Amino acid sequence: MGVMDYFKSVPSMTADEVRRFLAEKHPDEYNLVDVRQPAEYEGDHIPGANLIPMSELKDRLDEIDPEKPTIAY
Amino acid sequence: MEGGIRAWKGLVAHGMPEAGMAYFSPAANAEEIVGLAWALEEGSKFFYQGIYEHFSNDKEAQEMFSWLVSAEKNHEKHLLQTYEALTGTQPDFEKLRAKFSDSLSGTVMEGGIPVKEALAWIEDKEVADSLEMSIAMEVNAYDLYIKMSRAIEDKPAQLIFEKLSEEEQVHLGKLAGLLDKRI
Repeated sequence: MGVMDYFKSVPSMTADEVRRFLAEKHPDEYNLVDVRQPAEYEGDHIPGANLIPMSELKDRLDEIDPEKPTIAY
Repeated sequence: MEGGIRAWKGLVAHGMPEAGMAYFSPAANAEEIVGLAWALEEGSKFFYQGIYEHFSNDKEAQEMFSWLVSAEKNHEKHLLQTYEALTGTQPDFEKLRAKFSDSLSGTVMEGGIPVKEALAWIEDKEVADSLEMSIAMEVNAYDLYIKMSRAIEDKPAQLIFEKLSEEEQVHLGKLAGLLDKRI
């Protein structure tokens, strides 16, 4: 990863686009990451989402398959 | 996702990542996984059967819950067929059920909810409440099965969880359809 990568814009999806995406894809075809705190995840989360709090993201990047699209919320 | 979870107007699951997963050891073999999944499906079947009997004067609700009882029966049959296709042998379900009934300390349905408590809760509730509870249970089961298909090491067991998660989606669609009509 080069320094210019930090300036690349990250495409975002609306909730409706995410809903359609998840409905069309097999759970194996994407990474769905909940980056909130554990208590928030416990309260409610999108089914199938993997909890990786923002503070742990750097140390748990191996849990995100770079070959697949990633949706974070 | 723009707006985060607040923008999400869809179904949500509850509980920590390991909720429900404790029932399934990631190192368990296909036979154990099928046996335990079967015990949970059976719990769901009893739950739907209980709701079906409770709303005896609501034909539309009865049709829905009777369909779900059949769907859970099909899940049980499907689990058996999947197991046979993948391993070429037949599991001893009675033995497995006895084993897991002990570990589950009673009848528990998908999502890890005790059937008795769930049925006691619906006693004085409306059909819409029962539908909401069923949806909550199915969403949690869907969430669990997706996570288990990723976590499990045994390939045949992984395929079983994938198939189950797909079928939970169908149940959810049907339940949500009737709930939309009732609220």
